[in-house]
Amino acid sequence: MPTQPGTSNADIRCGDYKAVGGKLLRVRMTVSAGSRPVIQALRITGDFFMHPEEAIEDLEQLLTGAPLDEAALRARVQTFFDGEVQVVGADVDDFVAVLLKAA
Amino acid sequence: MAKQEWRLLLTGDMSAFDNMALDEAVLRCVAAGASPSTLRFYGWEPSAVSIGYFQGIEQEVDLDVCREQGVDVIRRLTGGGAVFHEHGSEITYSLAVKDDYPGIPKKVLDSYALLCAGLVAGFRRLGLDAEFKPINDILVNGKKISGNAQTRRFGGILQHGTLLCDVNPHLMFSLLKVPSEKIRDKLIAGVEERVTSIRREMGTVDNAAVIQAMCAGFAEVLDIRLSPGTVSDEELALAERVKEERYANPTWNFKR
Repeated sequence: MPTQPGTSNADIRCGDYKAVGGKLLRVRMTVSAGSRPVIQALRITGDFFMHPEEAIEDLEQLLTGAPLDEAALRARVQTFFDGEVQVVGADVDDFVAVLLKAA
Repeated sequence: MAKQEWRLLLTGDMSAFDNMALDEAVLRCVAAGASPSTLRFYGWEPSAVSIGYFQGIEQEVDLDVCREQGVDVIRRLTGGGAVFHEHGSEITYSLAVKDDYPGIPKKVLDSYALLCAGLVAGFRRLGLDAEFKPINDILVNGKKISGNAQTRRFGGILQHGTLLCDVNPHLMFSLLKVPSEKIRDKLIAGVEERVTSIRREMGTVDNAAVIQAMCAGFAEVLDIRLSPGTVSDEELALAERVKEERYANPTWNFKR
């Protein structure tokens, strides 16, 4: 397979996580190489609800550049939840869990 | 106080693209005050799979099988899961009000309970032992018979959902992606165990009677009067526009 320039050391990781209420969260992300990997890009999908819906892009933006450790991820997800958004069917712990699963 | 008068729309069977476009057009017009609060009932022709706003289309749907079977695939404006809307096997409703409509909770989670209570009352009028199950399901005799989803935007609230008339999990799971054949069998068995339908519960399905019961249920719970109406020219024009921009547009359907 040909290697794309600039992404040769990055790696794609996926994870699924079922929240307590039964909603499924899925993450697909590109993670940088090195001793302290960070999220370069990510896409969160699933059957949860978020109002307004477009806020999912803010969450993805907030998580881009985050180091892959629980405290850092939790802080960013919490910041998102502290905003005006209403998330139904998943909470902060669920989003952190799916990110760690993918990591 | 005089009862609020709502419009009842019966739009029959349409394509997924027309159905989702009309739901959005009605929502926008209701939110803008150009149309009255609306309860709509409709069906799907051809059959379609709808996915939730946040779902990955290729993660959830076997697009090749859908194409072979003539099943349309569409992304909804609302979150939630993938739904197989089989032609003739489902009555779908949608409800649109302004977001400051009196008595509707600001918290989405709480408002499901209120709006779904109209359906629960409707199922009870049909003689079925229905109950609301949070977050967004209705059960009859402990099994799911209706799934519901809500969005709040443009200054309005749209809730739409399914009233299952017949259930066909074999066909449904042939259209959806599953991790393996073994898991497919498990999922089918799970649906047979946990999902029911109006036919299974009543032995027969009379669409007009179901719709009438649901109307009476909503009228009772929301203290409203429903008057049959028509789709406005403004809604029709808007529906055509959002169909092109969104629902019949691969950019929208493949955005996740």
